[in-house]
Amino acid sequence: MAILILYILLNVVVVAFFLDEILKKTNPSQDILYSFNGYIIYYFLMDLLLRFQMQELPTLSVRPYLHLRIKKHQLINYLSLTSLWTTFNITPVLLSLPLLIKIVLPQQGPAQFWGLLLSIIGVTLSNHFFSLWIKRKVNLNAVWMLIFLGTLLLFVSLDFYFKLFSISTLSAELFTFVVASPLFSFLFLFIAFLVYFLNYRYLKSNLYLEELHTADSSHKSSTEIPYLNRFGKAGDLAGNELKLILRNKRPRSVITMSLMFMFYGLIFYTNPTFSGYAGIVFCGMFMTGIFIINYGQFMFSWQSAHFDGILVSKVNAVDFFKSKFLLFTLFSSLCFILTIPYVYFGWKVLIVHFVMFIWNLGVNTLLVLYFANQNYRRIDLSKGATFNWEGVGASQWILSIPLLLAPFILYLPMSLLGYPEGGLAAIAIIGLFFMFSREIWLSKLVKKFQEKRYLIAEGFRNK
Amino acid sequence: MISISNLKKTYNGVTVVNIPELFKKKGETIGLVGNNGAGKTTLFRMMLDLIRPDSGEVISDGKNVAESENWKDYTASYLDEGFLIDYLTPEEYFHFIGGLHNKTKTQVDAELPSFSEFFNGEILNKGKYIRDLSKGNQTKVGVAACLIQNPQLLMLDEPFANIDPSTQIRLKNMIKEISLEKHITTIISSHDLNHITEVCERILLMEKGEIIKDIATNSNTLQELEQYFSVLS
Repeated sequence: MAILILYILLNVVVVAFFLDEILKKTNPSQDILYSFNGYIIYYFLMDLLLRFQMQELPTLSVRPYLHLRIKKHQLINYLSLTSLWTTFNITPVLLSLPLLIKIVLPQQGPAQFWGLLLSIIGVTLSNHFFSLWIKRKVNLNAVWMLIFLGTLLLFVSLDFYFKLFSISTLSAELFTFVVASPLFSFLFLFIAFLVYFLNYRYLKSNLYLEELHTADSSHKSSTEIPYLNRFGKAGDLAGNELKLILRNKRPRSVITMSLMFMFYGLIFYTNPTFSGYAGIVFCGMFMTGIFIINYGQFMFSWQSAHFDGILVSKVNAVDFFKSKFLLFTLFSSLCFILTIPYVYFGWKVLIVHFVMFIWNLGVNTLLVLYFANQNYRRIDLSKGATFNWEGVGASQWILSIPLLLAPFILYLPMSLLGYPEGGLAAIAIIGLFFMFSREIWLSKLVKKFQEKRYLIAEGFRNK
Repeated sequence: MISISNLKKTYNGVTVVNIPELFKKKGETIGLVGNNGAGKTTLFRMMLDLIRPDSGEVISDGKNVAESENWKDYTASYLDEGFLIDYLTPEEYFHFIGGLHNKTKTQVDAELPSFSEFFNGEILNKGKYIRDLSKGNQTKVGVAACLIQNPQLLMLDEPFANIDPSTQIRLKNMIKEISLEKHITTIISSHDLNHITEVCERILLMEKGEIIKDIATNSNTLQELEQYFSVLS
């Protein structure tokens, strides 16, 4: 996840710096600032949708202070202020600032620059407190999300395909007006303040953990995952871990993000400049191996809460590791199947995906488990995964280096010599080699685990 | 059953456990008492191979626990909630633990009714994950999971804390019963001197990592312990 967030932020920065160029290309007939303004409302509607889905509610952080001699309004301000530090609030400024400096400041002047910037900040803050308020007030389940997304898509299609009415024109006119009369931006700040006050009043009358923190009280039933039984004890362990993933918030959001990654190929394959193998190798590795990378990088921290229990129970370390391989194979196969439709972009895409699927199972599983033996950080499963840095340490960063470089070290020399197929074959052969010699590496991993288990257990006990 | 020799553990220069020699006979019920920080839990963890001792060894049934894993076949333990897989329902957890000892689901299900009095209707078929149970009820799950394993050696760290008075009495009876009928070696720690002297035939008193008293329980033991703890404070 750490790699992912950094990667996304990097993308944002790059997009921000070339935003004026991008806008010039996509809307050549229009003034750059006018087209920029046209996207603002859409951006914030998407922003709101994502916030509903992913923004954390910082509620439990006030628990240790509730019974102390601290006034309620101080607690609420504390809650509100600490919630501000999220990527959702940084991104809009980060995205618009380069364009504002490059275009608005020299062409229009400082007052106009500040007017537009403050308006954007105002809308950001309104979105922020509105999503906090609505998320606390109503339990937004998937149905609401779909309704919101559906309405948004309807607006987009009405806007761009049927041209019935245009939100983008509305957005463009509104913010062009702000540029013309910068004092108008204070209205947006005032709206932000109103939403803040709405949120404040709601919190003030409902500052009880029980009410703010909606505990899931539905009936939990015992289930059995049928297919895994045939793998013996390793299968039982994998079944337990599957339940861990499905029943806890943080691993569940890892899965959601992994599924979103299945669309990653659309960015690359639709672009003709990435017609070579290298792009597909990169994409294929991420899409078929996203679970191994995203979930595997935090092993065994997922089980940190009951790691002592695993060590003292009759769980064999070999079975423990085999259950991980089982889980990796299961999810990677699922990802491979889900990416089969990319065959639309040519058979070679499917073949490269398959090669990278083998590479992931052969090499990346071992790599991830090797680093799992050096990971002593506890993870709280009940917190969301987005922008959660708990459990992120040096091990995740170091892991990403061989993970990203290894396939290219094999591929690039051959490709530069003019045999890209040879490079691909090298990846496949090495992948198969490690897959078939897995038992050897497994015993090495188990041996290392037996040495390190005291350190791992001790680290996991530190809350 | 268990013998400890020269067992030592220090954290940052402070000795937490220092036991030159200790034997535990098969079938004994042993109570471990001592104030917070006396080293009870650390001793438990070293006996369960969760912490590597600085020196010395724990021999269980003739084998060093750090080298052989045989002890896992006949040892059941519950130290804290960290031993429970908290996102499972109690039933799923019992099935999993039973499965590790080669018991089928039906075998485990057949055993569960014998705990109905101990559970007091708060554990089974409640539609809750273990993490949603109160701490006392989690202790009940942990203790029952131990007994499902049919252990020869049972270790419980403060099982009487957090559970209600009725369950405390039932737990005492259960421990007495199994040590009489099945000849199980039991090691229990507790801060409740009444309970521990009632259940255990041998009491070990720990202070600053050392066992300073090793008493065969008799009618004066409770008084003796009470005196020790009141003088200390």
